[in-house]
Amino acid sequence: MKNAFLPLLVLLVLSAVLPASSHAIPAFAKKHGFNCNMCHAGYPKLNDFGQRFRDNGYQIPGQEGKESNIFSTPPPIALRTSTGLSAYDIQSGTTDGFGLLGLDLLAAGMMHKNVSFLFIYTPRIDEPSADFTGSHDGTNPQQFGAFESGSVVFSNVVQGVLNVRVGRFEPAYHAISSKRTYYLMEPYEIYGFSTPQEGFVFDDNQIGVEATGHSRCGFKYGLGLVNGTGASPDNNRSKDVYLNVSQTISPGDGQTAGQRIGAFGYYGRQPLITSGVVVSPTGEADGISNETFYRYGGHASLNWRTLNLQALYMRGIDDKSFNSLKPTKDYEFDGGIAELDYAALANNRLIASLLFNWISPPEYDSDRQVRAYSALARYYLGDWTAVNVALHAEYTHRETGETDLFKENIYSLLVDFAF
Amino acid sequence: MKGIAGLLAVMVLFFLFRIVAAESPAPPFTGVEVHSLGPQRIGSPPPVPVPPNNPQTSMKIMLGKQLYFDTRLSMDNTVSCSTCHNPQMGWSDKGPTSEGIGLQRGGRRAPPVSNAAYLPLQFWDGRAPSLEEQAKGPIQNPIEMGNTHENMLRTVGDIPGYAEEFKRVFGTTPVTIDQVAMAIAAFERTVVTTDSPFDRFVNGDDAALTSFEKQGLEIFNGKGHCTSCHWGSNFTDGRFHTIGVPQRGPLKEDNGRNETTKLAKDRRAFKTPTIRDAALRPPYMHTGGDKTLTDVINFYNKGGGTHDNNLDPLVVPLGLTNQEIAALVAFITRAMTSLNPEVADVRPIPTSDLPR
Repeated sequence: MKNAFLPLLVLLVLSAVLPASSHAIPAFAKKHGFNCNMCHAGYPKLNDFGQRFRDNGYQIPGQEGKESNIFSTPPPIALRTSTGLSAYDIQSGTTDGFGLLGLDLLAAGMMHKNVSFLFIYTPRIDEPSADFTGSHDGTNPQQFGAFESGSVVFSNVVQGVLNVRVGRFEPAYHAISSKRTYYLMEPYEIYGFSTPQEGFVFDDNQIGVEATGHSRCGFKYGLGLVNGTGASPDNNRSKDVYLNVSQTISPGDGQTAGQRIGAFGYYGRQPLITSGVVVSPTGEADGISNETFYRYGGHASLNWRTLNLQALYMRGIDDKSFNSLKPTKDYEFDGGIAELDYAALANNRLIASLLFNWISPPEYDSDRQVRAYSALARYYLGDWTAVNVALHAEYTHRETGETDLFKENIYSLLVDFAF
Repeated sequence: MKGIAGLLAVMVLFFLFRIVAAESPAPPFTGVEVHSLGPQRIGSPPPVPVPPNNPQTSMKIMLGKQLYFDTRLSMDNTVSCSTCHNPQMGWSDKGPTSEGIGLQRGGRRAPPVSNAAYLPLQFWDGRAPSLEEQAKGPIQNPIEMGNTHENMLRTVGDIPGYAEEFKRVFGTTPVTIDQVAMAIAAFERTVVTTDSPFDRFVNGDDAALTSFEKQGLEIFNGKGHCTSCHWGSNFTDGRFHTIGVPQRGPLKEDNGRNETTKLAKDRRAFKTPTIRDAALRPPYMHTGGDKTLTDVINFYNKGGGTHDNNLDPLVVPLGLTNQEIAALVAFITRAMTSLNPEVADVRPIPTSDLPR
C-alpha cells in the first residue's frame, strides 16, 4: 500500500507545484534584434522597459505607428520549455527523475498601429510514468493541452490612459506575475488557494475584457470584467470584476527601478449548481445559486541597485455556501508572497532569489496551512544577441499543516530555454 | 434587449479599432536607415544613400572638400565648415557648444559630419531634410558664418579657380547656392566610417573585440537599453527623443524638435546621435554638458533627466553596476572607433592650396 501511495503522492504534488505556464516572448526579441535583457531583468521577469512595452500593447513606448507589423516581418512564433532533473523528498522516502516541465508555443505581434495580439498554446505533454502501472487513462498529463492565452490589445485608445484587452489574458490584478516568475517548481501558493468547493484560481488567465492605463506621475490601473472561471463558455450570467491600482515613486515602473505600492480587489460570483436551467448551443449556462467570493490585498515592489524585493498580501473570503467544512461561516483565509531577487554579473547573467510563501487558512482548516521557503540561482548562457538559455537550480522546503507538519523538499537542476 | 447589447458591443469594438488603427501621416523619413522598427539590429553600414539629383563624381567631391575647408564662405573669412566639424575632433569640435564668427558661442554642440550621410534629417532638431539643405544653413546663420547666400556666392563666383571648377562640375554659370550645397554634401557623403573593431567582429573576426568589450556590446544591446535608440548600422534611429538633458550654455531654453514641428511631444526632443566614433568627440549631449562617456552613461543609468515632464518613455533607470558601465565605455571607446584611414586621415586643405 505504501509503495502505491508514494507515486500517487508524487503525482499530486507535482501537479500542484508545477506552474501552468510561464511567459517570455522571444518573438519580440527576434523582431527587434534586441538582447533578451532589453525587456527582462533576466527572462522571464520583466524589467521596467519590458513592462512599458507590454503595457503599450507590445509596441516600443513612444514609437507607436513606426513599427513593422506581423505582415512585414517573419512569423512571430517562439517556443519556451524547460527540462532537467528534479528530486522530491519527504519523511517516507525520496524520488527523482528527468522531466520535461512544460512547453509554451507563443505567437505575438502588432497587427496594426495600436492593435496587437498574444497567443499562447500549451500542448499536452506526457503522462507521468507512474500512470503506466495504472489505468493509463490519460487523465494525468504533465501538461494539459490548452489555449492558454489568446487576446487582442487595443492600445492608446486614449493615449496612455486607456488600453483595452479582449480575450483570454493574464489579468492586471497579478501584481506579481506568476507567468513571469523565475521559479519553475515553486508556485506562488496563495494564488491557487481557495475553499475546496469554490475552486477559483487567482492566477488563472481569465476570459473577458480589461482596461488598463497609466499616467506620467507613476499611477497605473487595471479594471476588468471576466467570466471568472478562467474558462469558456461561462457557467453563470454573473461576471466577475476586479481593480488593481498602483503608484510608483521615483523613476521607473517598480519592476527593477523605482518603488511601487498598490492594492487590488476582486469580486466574483460562482454558481453552486453550474448547469443551470438554460444551456446555450455553445455551452454557456445560467448556473444557479450564485454566491460571492472576494480577494483583496496590497503589494509592493522595492528596488535598490540590483536588488528587488516584492511582496504581496492577499485576503480571501468565500461565501459560507462554499464552505463544506463549516457551512455556517464564510471561509476566510490570508497569505502572501515575499521574494527577494538579486541580479549579478554583466547583463544580469546571474540571478539569485529567495522566496517565502505562506497561507493561513481558518483555524478549523489548519491542515492546509502552508509555509514554503525557496531559493534559486539561474545562470544565463548566450551572447550579445541573446541570453536565452538558463541553467537553473532551485530548492523548496514546504511545511503543510499546523500541528502535524507534512514536510517536503524539492530539488531541481534544469535547463530553461526559449527561442 | 440582448441583441441590442450585442450590437452595441460590436459597434464599440469597431469604434475602438477605428481610433487605434487610424494611420498617422507618413513621417518625413526617406533614408535607408530609418525604417519601421523591427528589426533594429546593429551591424555594418550599407552603401551610403545618394539622392538621384546629386550623383557622386570625383570632381564634385573635390570641389565640395575645398568648400568645406574654405573660410571664405564666412562673412569675415574666419570660419569654415571644418571649424565646427573638424576631422581631427571626430568631425565635431572641442565644445561644449560651437564657436562662430566674432567668437560668438552657439546654443548647441556641433553634430558630427561623419556618417551624417545616413541620416534622413539633419541638425539636432531635424529641420533640414537633406545634407544639401543642411549645408546652406550655417552660411547665413548670424552666429556661425554670419554671411548671406548672395554675398557668399559673389565671393566664390569671383574666385576664378572656383568659377572654373563649378562650371566643370555643374556645366552652368553663375554659381548657385544649390550647387555649393550639392558639392559640400557630395564631399560629406564620403565621410563615412564603416570599419571599426565592432564591424570586424560582426563580420566574423571573433578576436576583433576583447572579452570585456564583448560584455559591453551585450550590455549595449541588452540591459543598457542603448539599442532602443542607437540601433541600426549607424547606431542611431535618426529620430528625436526627450531625455531631459539639463539646459546649459547661452540658450535659456531650447525646445529642440518642437521648434520645427510645434508638437508638444517634441518639446526638448533632440536627434539621436550616432555612437560610431563617439569617443573621438567629447563633450557629449546637445549642450556638450557631459565631459566623458562615463558621465553620459551615468546620466542614463539614473533614468535620464527625470525633472523633465516630457521625458521619453524609452528612458528608464538601468541599474547598471560600475563594472557594467566600464564595459560599455570600453566597447564604445575602442570597438566603435573607426579604422577608416580615408576618413581618419583627412587633413584641412591649406589655404594656399584652395582655388584662387
